[in-house]
Amino acid sequence: MIQIQGIGNQTGKKFWRSLDELSNSPKFQNWVAQEFPEGAADVMDGKSRRKFLQVMAASMGLAGLTACRRPVEKILPYAKSVEGVVMGNSLHFATAMPFNGGAQGLVVESFDGRPIKIEGNTNHPESRGAAGTLAQASVLNLYDPDRSKEVLADGKPSTWDSFSKVAATLPADGEGVRVLSTLVNSPTLAGLRGQLASKMPKAKWVEYEAFTDDTLIEGSQIAFGDALRPQFDFKKANVVVALDFDFLELENRSLGWVKDFSARRKPAPVAAPASHHGAAADAHHAAPAAEAHHGAPAATEHAAAPPAAGEATPGMNRLYAIESNFTLTGVMADNRLRLKPSDVQNFVFDLARALGAITGLQILGQQDRWIKALAKDLQANRGKSIVLAGSRQPAVVHAVVALINQTLGNAGETVTYTKDVRRPVAALKELAGELNSGGVKALVILGGNPVYDAPVDLAFGDAVKKAPLSIHLGPEVNETGVIAKWHLPESHYLEAWGDVASNDGSISIVQPLIEPLFATKSAIEIVGFLLAGKWPKGFELVKAQSKLDEAGWRKALHDGLLAGTAGASVKGAADKTKVEAAVNNAPKTGGRIEVQFFPSHNLWDGRFANNAWLQEAPDPMSKLVWDNAAVMSPKTAKELQVEIIPDDVGMYAQKIIVEIGGQKVEAPVYVLPGHADNTVTLMCGYGRKEIGRVGRGIGYNAFAVRPSTGLGFASANITKAPGTYYMVSTQEHHSQEGRPIVQEAPLAKYEKEPHFAKEEEEHVELFSLFQEHDYSKGNQWGMAIDLNACTGCNSCLIACQSENNIPVVGKEQVGKGREMHWIRLDRYFTGDEEDPQAVYQPMACQQCENAPCESVCPVAATVHSPEGLNDMAYNRCVGTRYCANNCPYKVRRFNYLNFHKDMDELTKMVQNPDVTVRMRGVMEKCNYCVQRIQEAKIKAKAEGRASGAAGPYKVGEFMTACQQTCAADAIVFGNINDPESKVSQLKKDHRNYALLHELNVKPRTTYLAKLRNPNPELA
Amino acid sequence: MGQIFPKKIDLIIRGALLVAGLGAAATAGGMLFLHHPKRIEPGYQPTQPIPYSHKLHAGNLGLDCLYCHTTVDKSSYAAIPSTQTCMNCHSKVKGQSVVLEPVRKSFELDQPIPWVKIHRLPDYVYFNHSAHVNSGVSCVSCHGRVDQMVEVKQVQPLTMAWCLDCHRNAAPNLRPAELVTKLDWKPESDPAEIGKQIMATKKINPPTNCSGCHR
Repeated sequence: MIQIQGIGNQTGKKFWRSLDELSNSPKFQNWVAQEFPEGAADVMDGKSRRKFLQVMAASMGLAGLTACRRPVEKILPYAKSVEGVVMGNSLHFATAMPFNGGAQGLVVESFDGRPIKIEGNTNHPESRGAAGTLAQASVLNLYDPDRSKEVLADGKPSTWDSFSKVAATLPADGEGVRVLSTLVNSPTLAGLRGQLASKMPKAKWVEYEAFTDDTLIEGSQIAFGDALRPQFDFKKANVVVALDFDFLELENRSLGWVKDFSARRKPAPVAAPASHHGAAADAHHAAPAAEAHHGAPAATEHAAAPPAAGEATPGMNRLYAIESNFTLTGVMADNRLRLKPSDVQNFVFDLARALGAITGLQILGQQDRWIKALAKDLQANRGKSIVLAGSRQPAVVHAVVALINQTLGNAGETVTYTKDVRRPVAALKELAGELNSGGVKALVILGGNPVYDAPVDLAFGDAVKKAPLSIHLGPEVNETGVIAKWHLPESHYLEAWGDVASNDGSISIVQPLIEPLFATKSAIEIVGFLLAGKWPKGFELVKAQSKLDEAGWRKALHDGLLAGTAGASVKGAADKTKVEAAVNNAPKTGGRIEVQFFPSHNLWDGRFANNAWLQEAPDPMSKLVWDNAAVMSPKTAKELQVEIIPDDVGMYAQKIIVEIGGQKVEAPVYVLPGHADNTVTLMCGYGRKEIGRVGRGIGYNAFAVRPSTGLGFASANITKAPGTYYMVSTQEHHSQEGRPIVQEAPLAKYEKEPHFAKEEEEHVELFSLFQEHDYSKGNQWGMAIDLNACTGCNSCLIACQSENNIPVVGKEQVGKGREMHWIRLDRYFTGDEEDPQAVYQPMACQQCENAPCESVCPVAATVHSPEGLNDMAYNRCVGTRYCANNCPYKVRRFNYLNFHKDMDELTKMVQNPDVTVRMRGVMEKCNYCVQRIQEAKIKAKAEGRASGAAGPYKVGEFMTACQQTCAADAIVFGNINDPESKVSQLKKDHRNYALLHELNVKPRTTYLAKLRNPNPELA
Repeated sequence: MGQIFPKKIDLIIRGALLVAGLGAAATAGGMLFLHHPKRIEPGYQPTQPIPYSHKLHAGNLGLDCLYCHTTVDKSSYAAIPSTQTCMNCHSKVKGQSVVLEPVRKSFELDQPIPWVKIHRLPDYVYFNHSAHVNSGVSCVSCHGRVDQMVEVKQVQPLTMAWCLDCHRNAAPNLRPAELVTKLDWKPESDPAEIGKQIMATKKINPPTNCSGCHR
């Protein structure tokens, strides 16, 4: 057996994925040494040989039967043609997903009338072509067989007619009528709410969602005396300071932020690479004289680095993250400071004092170095910096931040403000009080799941039971639906008309792509009925609200946006004295151990808990699947004696009991290097009880301890609980065993040695034993992935899953290393165990020109195409798995079981008909979305566009699914033979390097090395 | 006690086994030979719900293939026409015909006519009509002289080897794209030469790699 070298043996920067790998524990050695994880060769789980023989006998019998006769297949054309429909071609419609008081502008692909793939809308200012994981996976919710499909009265099937009769009995003046909805950001719903208020003057309307950024608005009220929402322009910002604010992922309200931010991660072009090395591989880079000699080619190379040729590039920005959890913003940060949530407040106060924004003495002495360095950097970038704070922090922090931005001259430059409204949790508290006192006759809950996610001290479930009439509209019969007297099935946004305003106020029409699959209705239709006494049509309500003529309406539908509806920017002046008063009155919060509440990356507040794609997407930091955990630092875990017990497959986590204000919950522990000490992060949205088959009993419910006084964080009592819990994390799967595949350097080093990444590669001249193919002609597909831009958000993973019909395998199978994702995001730590940095590396098939997988396939099921693709013919594969064993990048996935077998008929509608659904015993992997390549080629052919050496397809005409959805533009795919294409230009970038270059497999996917721009004063 | 079986039984058993083995091999070989798609696929001619005659419509009346199969140059499918297409004429022509009763019923009730699929490819094969038709592969190359068929039947095996024969040597099967639906077209000169020219001008390069058809 080959001795696996611990990462300590490697030269240069050390990267590790887990604490086990760092210590090179026997468990880690065992995991990587095995050809397949334990049990991976089992034909069937827990089934005996007898069962196997039975199955085999039965399938033989079936084989005999089916061979007799050719099955008759029918073709059912339309009786009446549908305008614009060309059977076999997909249509694309603009729409928007309302989410958490904002919206994502989307373009949805419809095939044969079924929405199958969700992408971002390039016209939409808050999407700009990208879509997040939740929006993309939401199409699966449409086809969820466990959806609510009928009206329930006291849990028994009923009808809309019976409900209509009951709803007609509501008091005419609204006495005792209360409406509880999710955040209202639909102009139509807001309009109807206004009408309801005048028709039923005594009725009240409350908005609640578990995760809002009301503290931001409350802070602006302190500072400006007005409810304002900050809008950020990351394009202009040289310095960004994120205070407990994961603006790149969990608290992202606009993918435009990520776009602009990552555009500023590109370093300024390095004029004359002063590399002493370069001699062999990059001779022409070595000296300016040589460059002049080369003339034109050298010029194009330099044009490659800046974002747009000829335009002065502002260079790389600097991101400071001050946070408790290790978030994706923290991963991206150049300088990161771990603080307890309550200490962030003092840090902000100190920073404000150091900047002269507020007066007073500094209090948090130990962070002096940070405060000084930060203040200096901010002062040097007046008007070109952004300070921003997250919603878990109290209002006073946001008031101070507003004042800091004003003092620094950022207000009006990088930070502007638009009008907004407060949605305080106090309103829900008041409603609970009214319910308990019997003052509520009828409670109408429009969407959401307050019984599950309301602050625990409100005991909202018990309160709802006290209402004589309670009505719940929801997409599933959830915890609230079972308590309410009436449950009404809610339409998915892809099947009902609506409208929605996004973060900057831009209004989109929510255009349905399909008639409701079941007898469902939308919130606007329910309110419309309460108003008019008869069922309105959602379409008419939305169209009337838009006040557009036919042409304007059609344009709005086509563009997915009502032009010019973005909120006007408001000029606010932060009042220093009021902010100072708030600072002086700020209560001292915090305790020895603090617990903070995060929405989950995958399930958000629990509304996506029945979505299998999201359940199986590894959490970006912990890489846990099908579970949530209580996350803490190694030091805190040691103190609490709850370190993880590694196991051969997966791991056994110890458990803790979290107690806040008398409420308790038991949670398994995940130890995350880089987490703040004495802080525990609880991921909400799990532990759902009333839900479909996918989400039932998954994880623990963090809402069970979330108090209304500590929606962001609260001090808690943590005790160790007996027993362990089996968790599955993919962090050690497909291990690279310490090989140097991630290249990272500080910006300063890059400026001196721009080829640092290439220098890490082996430089002996490499020969192939095989006769090499000529790839110099025609389209040659390739990819470049910018590690500097990738945030690790998983959007590409979900895009790929949706596009390529990738099956979900479940927690047990993932534990055996059988996850099927074609693209994975390897998360590497580097540095100190307690305070490391982290890097993401998206990894899919590298499409090697000298592919090691091809030479070992005994049946030629994987061979090369003339365009440089490593083709995979599923119908030829016999499942030897030799290819997977010979792949140095570990990107091939094997169908150990027939993962599609039990798929519900309804769910099958989500499958992409352009991609084969693979069955058991077949190997699969990324193929650069070859179906999209073929589609583009055929289209070019049909339109008679001439093909040539540079390729018949215009650059940017089609993209792979992962590239299309990447908000950070980290993935670029295209024709590397076309000198005009973005990918061919990126491949000439100094930072470009091939993974495991020394193997001479010549991967078509290359990476641009990661850079960091740390403040030298904090080194 | 004497032997139960005579000595030569050994030989007989061996002989019998040999005969049985050869018989089985011959049967299997014969089945494989006879069941090869080349032999069993051509000639498939299911009964359709309506006795629609391509010979009458496309042959005698001279309707162009594209009149009904409208998407053949736009999409992977060569769409079976909607009932509405039939009714364009049959609301006036033969409006009372008993044979056309199912067509009128389909149109009135907005219910599809359940045609039986004849030309089938496995699910993992992604054939695209528009790619072929726009390149100048005629309908006749794969579907035969449909304009002479009263009831359509399959004439080609549609096997991978058959596809590849053409993909490796496409020239003789190409014609100017505007003539693809002229099923009786005869080239005036050498078809291979005509095809070669078309391939050069349109830069046609038929794929022979896996992902050309399998995705």
